[in-house]
Amino acid sequence: MNNRLKVLRAERDWSQAELADQLGVSRQTVNALETGRYDPSLPLAFKIARVFGQPIESIFTED
Amino acid sequence: MNDLSRPRRPHGPGVYLLVMGGSLVLGGLAGAGSAFLGDQPGPVGTAVTAAFVTAAMAVGFTACLWWWRGIDEAAREAHKWAWWWGGSGGMAVGSILLLTLMLRAEEQSLPAKLGSTPADIFVSGMTCILLFQLAGYSLAWAGWWLKHR
Repeated sequence: MNNRLKVLRAERDWSQAELADQLGVSRQTVNALETGRYDPSLPLAFKIARVFGQPIESIFTED
Repeated sequence: MNDLSRPRRPHGPGVYLLVMGGSLVLGGLAGAGSAFLGDQPGPVGTAVTAAFVTAAMAVGFTACLWWWRGIDEAAREAHKWAWWWGGSGGMAVGSILLLTLMLRAEEQSLPAKLGSTPADIFVSGMTCILLFQLAGYSLAWAGWWLKHR
């Protein structure tokens, strides 16, 4: 699965640690998500969508 | 940053070390209690030892449950993956030793350190399998994070 996490985070000038704080996950998890090496659970995907104020499908796309 | 209420920060390595260190201390206390109060022959001594070990396991397991609920989902996934593949892989490797020794028992001389009574040898065998599982688990856990970083 591809995602726009890194772009969205950069647009807001947030660090990985700041995003991790908002999501309630570790910085390592944010890094794994951004590199596309870890796909989030549905609850975490919804949380990400809420934090960025965008629908899930605009953040995550199929390969 | 937006004004969404911040979720709780997940447990980090410090909490993990705290739980592991606490478990070690707990194990030591249980061992000491068992040695002082359970050092008597017969079923009472065995029951006291079993009670101390059971209590220590229950407290340790509860601490692990608290820690498990506090880590984030990727950390949980790493542990689940490591337990399944690393633990199973370690058990499979350990089973090679186990089955070889079992099937060719008459041709092998076991190291004296493994014990001579059936109970000693049984405990040594279980410990060996646990160590193989633990080694596999550790390798798999490290591998998961290396792959996902």
